[in-house]
Amino acid sequence: MKGRLCLLLAGLLAAGAVLTGCAGAKSASSESSQVFAMDTVMLLTVYGDQAKEGIDQATQTIQKLEKLWSATDETSEIWTLNHSEGDWVDLSPETEQVLSRSLELCALTGGALDLTAYSAVQAWGFPTGEYRVPGAEELAQVAASIDYTQVELNEQASQARLPENMSLDLGAVAKGRLGEVLSQQLKELGVTSALLELGGNVQTVGAKPDGSKWRVGIQDPASQEGGYLGVVQVADQAVVTSGDYQRYFEQDGQRYCHIMDPDTASPAQSGVDSVTVIGSDGTVCDALSTALFVMGEEKGIQFWKDHPELNFEAIFIAQDGTLAVTAGLADNFTLADGYQNREVTVMER
Amino acid sequence: MNKQTKILAGVLIAVVLLSAGVLAWRKLNPEPARIAKISQKGQVLQEIDLTQVKEPYSFVIEGEDGALNTVQVEPGRICISEASCPDQICVHQGWISDGSEPIVCLPNQVIIQITGGGSQVDAAAG
Repeated sequence: MKGRLCLLLAGLLAAGAVLTGCAGAKSASSESSQVFAMDTVMLLTVYGDQAKEGIDQATQTIQKLEKLWSATDETSEIWTLNHSEGDWVDLSPETEQVLSRSLELCALTGGALDLTAYSAVQAWGFPTGEYRVPGAEELAQVAASIDYTQVELNEQASQARLPENMSLDLGAVAKGRLGEVLSQQLKELGVTSALLELGGNVQTVGAKPDGSKWRVGIQDPASQEGGYLGVVQVADQAVVTSGDYQRYFEQDGQRYCHIMDPDTASPAQSGVDSVTVIGSDGTVCDALSTALFVMGEEKGIQFWKDHPELNFEAIFIAQDGTLAVTAGLADNFTLADGYQNREVTVMER
Repeated sequence: MNKQTKILAGVLIAVVLLSAGVLAWRKLNPEPARIAKISQKGQVLQEIDLTQVKEPYSFVIEGEDGALNTVQVEPGRICISEASCPDQICVHQGWISDGSEPIVCLPNQVIIQITGGGSQVDAAAG
């Protein structure tokens, strides 16, 4: 009798161990939060023992950089720079670094990225939502005030200045740079796994807690349901998409998107619906997704061929729905269910 | 060990194997519940299991200064069909049915996020 009782207890304990064992192994500890900033929402998930601290620090950094970089907040450094009437303006180290990096990228892309295209964004009404189609004369005038080479940056004195009739904004690089900064800070804290969704910009820190790569969906520009047409697998990289479907308005049957061609001061029309850039440097990815969208597929691929040192890969989705993917992605990109028949061209260097 | 004990031992082993089997099966075939979590300014307003929705319905979320978002719910999917915001980004996004990308209305600070089965991606770029 005693033996049977012991056996019964042992059995129950074993069953209990199986049950709790499975439950315990289910997930690593993590923290998540939603932050409304930079005209978008940011969804942060940090894994591991430093998760709580990581989220708190990241939230503070987001708020701090937003205050410095906003084009519409009258206390920001960028607003001050735009309203200084040609005078030198003092910059924080954060703003100086992002300006310096972005101006380099403006030059590298031959002005396809131009921080001073903000006057075009304004002329079309995007910052306020009061959309309008400017006339040809006005556009010519605006286009003449777009020229990043006129931005003077004195890195010794941490100062910058702009000609009086010009204004700049960091919209094309801020979230990418933010992802880079957050990723560095989290790593310094000892975080080895985090997913930062910065309003359509994805920045991954390390791999997933189970060691596998993150699966990031690439949105189908033509989908009414926000479906993704492909999945790219990444670890410790940023994935940034610029698309004409993200922010636009329609007038007289014509769609006008928020990505401006600095040459024409009008929405870029290069034959692509979206460009996704994947790489280890979030700032580069963000800047290039805009620049390659403006360039279009042919020039964009040429740029990729010419700049291996920038360490990025790209996916172009043309207006006819075909895809071009650079060689480095061939093993990490797959079409989603329902898109298996899409034509995909792998571009070699 | 007498015969009775052996039988008991056998039963217990069967119980343990069975419970392990059930857990393994659950793990391989996760509950298909798909919860749409609707929040406003970081506060969760309601959670809807989209797999339990039988009939389409809609409701309105009211915010400050007359801000309105009309949420449309159908079996397996959800969208914002009308909104008072100037940019209409949340409306343009259309239906979502998995966790790959949330619907966000920035001006009204409304977010609809789906958690649970169905998504094959961790995040979405775009």
